[in-house]
Amino acid sequence: MFDSKVVRRRRAALAVFVGLSLVMLTAYFGESGGGVFHTLQRGTQEALAPFETGAGRALKPFRDLFGWFGDTVDAKGENDRLEGEVEALRKRVAEADTATRDVRQLRGLVKLSRQEGFPQGTEPVAARVIAHSPTVWYSTVKIDKGSGDGVKEDQPVIAAGGLAGKVTRVTGGTSEVTLITDASSAVSAQVMPNGANGVVKPELGKPEDLLLDFIEKGRRVTKGTTVVTSGFTSSKVESRFPRGVPIGRVSRVDLDEVELYQRVHVEPFADLRRIDVVQVLTSKGSPDEQQAEVLAP
Amino acid sequence: MSATPGAFARVALIALVAVILQLSGFGPDRLFGGRPDLVPLVVAAVAIYAGSVAGAATGFGTGMLLDLAVGGTMGASSLVLSAVGYGVGRYREVRDPAHGLIPIPVGALATLAWVTAFAAVSFMLDVGASVSPLVFGDMLLTIALNAVIALPVFALCRRVLRPALLVDPLDLRRRRQPPREAGPLGLRGLEI
Repeated sequence: MFDSKVVRRRRAALAVFVGLSLVMLTAYFGESGGGVFHTLQRGTQEALAPFETGAGRALKPFRDLFGWFGDTVDAKGENDRLEGEVEALRKRVAEADTATRDVRQLRGLVKLSRQEGFPQGTEPVAARVIAHSPTVWYSTVKIDKGSGDGVKEDQPVIAAGGLAGKVTRVTGGTSEVTLITDASSAVSAQVMPNGANGVVKPELGKPEDLLLDFIEKGRRVTKGTTVVTSGFTSSKVESRFPRGVPIGRVSRVDLDEVELYQRVHVEPFADLRRIDVVQVLTSKGSPDEQQAEVLAP
Repeated sequence: MSATPGAFARVALIALVAVILQLSGFGPDRLFGGRPDLVPLVVAAVAIYAGSVAGAATGFGTGMLLDLAVGGTMGASSLVLSAVGYGVGRYREVRDPAHGLIPIPVGALATLAWVTAFAAVSFMLDVGASVSPLVFGDMLLTIALNAVIALPVFALCRRVLRPALLVDPLDLRRRRQPPREAGPLGLRGLEI
C-alpha cells in the first residue's frame, strides 16, 4: 500500500485525468460550433439516439406508475383551480370572438393578406422527447426529429400550448432543444394586452417560475395577464422567436422602490419538468426570412 | 482490477448503460419532485470494488460520455467525476470497508460530492441566470434518492465486475468472519 512506485503511479493517473479534463474544457470554450468537440457531440448524440428512444419507451410505464401517485394527490386541487379558470376563460372567449370578427373586417378594409398557421408562416412538426439533461444546470432535451424532417437551428419549440425553447443543434434524425429554463435562455416578451415589453429569463431550480425583467415601472402589469413572445431583438436579448407564441401567465409582480424596473413572475404554460411531446415550428424559409416576415407590418 | 480488455469492456458497458438510462428519464420525477442520478453511483461502485485508479478512469470516461451525449461543456463532468472516483477508491484502499451496507453512505457521499462540485464548476463557468434556493432542495432529494437505490446499483455493478476483480471486498468480509463454534474434538456439531 505504501510502495512509492504505486503511490506515484496513482497520483500520476489522477493528474493525467484532471489535466485532460482541463484541456478539454479550454479547447471546448475556444472552438467554434463546427469544431472537433462540437462535431463529436453531434456524432455521439446521433449514435445514442436509438438506444435512448428504446430505453425511454421501456422506462415509460414505470415513470407513469410513479407519476400516477403524484398526479392523484395533485388532481383534486387542480380540478378546483381549473373549474374557476374555465369560467373565466368562457368570458374571455366570448370577448375574443367579438374582437376576431372586428379584426377580420378591419383587415378587409386595409387589404392585408395574412398566411394561415400559428404563428403565421410556420408549420408545426410533432416530435417525441427521447432524452433529458440530467442536471439542473443545463435544461436541454433531445427530440427524435432532425434536419431530415425540416428542423433547423433557432426554430422555436412549443409544448402543451406554450413556448418550450428553441432548437440549438441539429443532426440528421435528432435535434437538441434548449429550454427557456436553461441558464443561457433569454426571450424577448410582451405582456398582453397592455403591450409592455421585457425579457423572460429563468431562475435556476424553479422551472415553474420564470422572471420577466426590464419592464418599466410606469407600465402596469397585473396578475393573470398573458405573456407572449414579442418577436424582436435588442442588445439584451439573445433568443429569437416569432411574434405571438404564448409563454405563460403572470403569477406575481414585485415592486421595488429602488429598482427602475418591475420584476414580474411568469408561470409557463408548458410543464417543462415533464415534457414528452413537443412541436417544432418549422418554416419554409430561413429563420432570418421568417423573422423578417414576422416583423413586417 | 487488472487492466484487461474484458475489464475495460465491463466498465464501459456499465458507464454506457448508466448514461443512457439517466438521459432517458430514469426514475420518477413527480413523486418527490426529485430524480435519482445513476452516474455518480456507478462511478462510486467501480471505485469501491476496483480501487482509485480504476475509479478515476471510470469517472473520466463516464463524464466524457455524459458531456458528449448531453451536449454540455466538455470536460466539466469528467473533471468532477474523476475526482469522485479517485476519492472513493482511496477510501476503499485506506479503510478497506467491508460492511454490507457500505454502498449507502458511499453512494450518498459520492452524490453529494458530484452535485456540489458540479454546481461549483458551473458557477465558475459563468452561469448567466439567477439561482433559486430550490436548487439545493433538488440536490438533497437526489442525494436521498441515490442513498435509497445505492444497494441494488452497487450489487449490479459488482455482479458485472466480479469476473474482472482481483480482490472482491465482499469475499474478504466473509473470510474475516470468526470461525463457527466447534466441539472439544474440533468437529462442528459436537458442541457441549
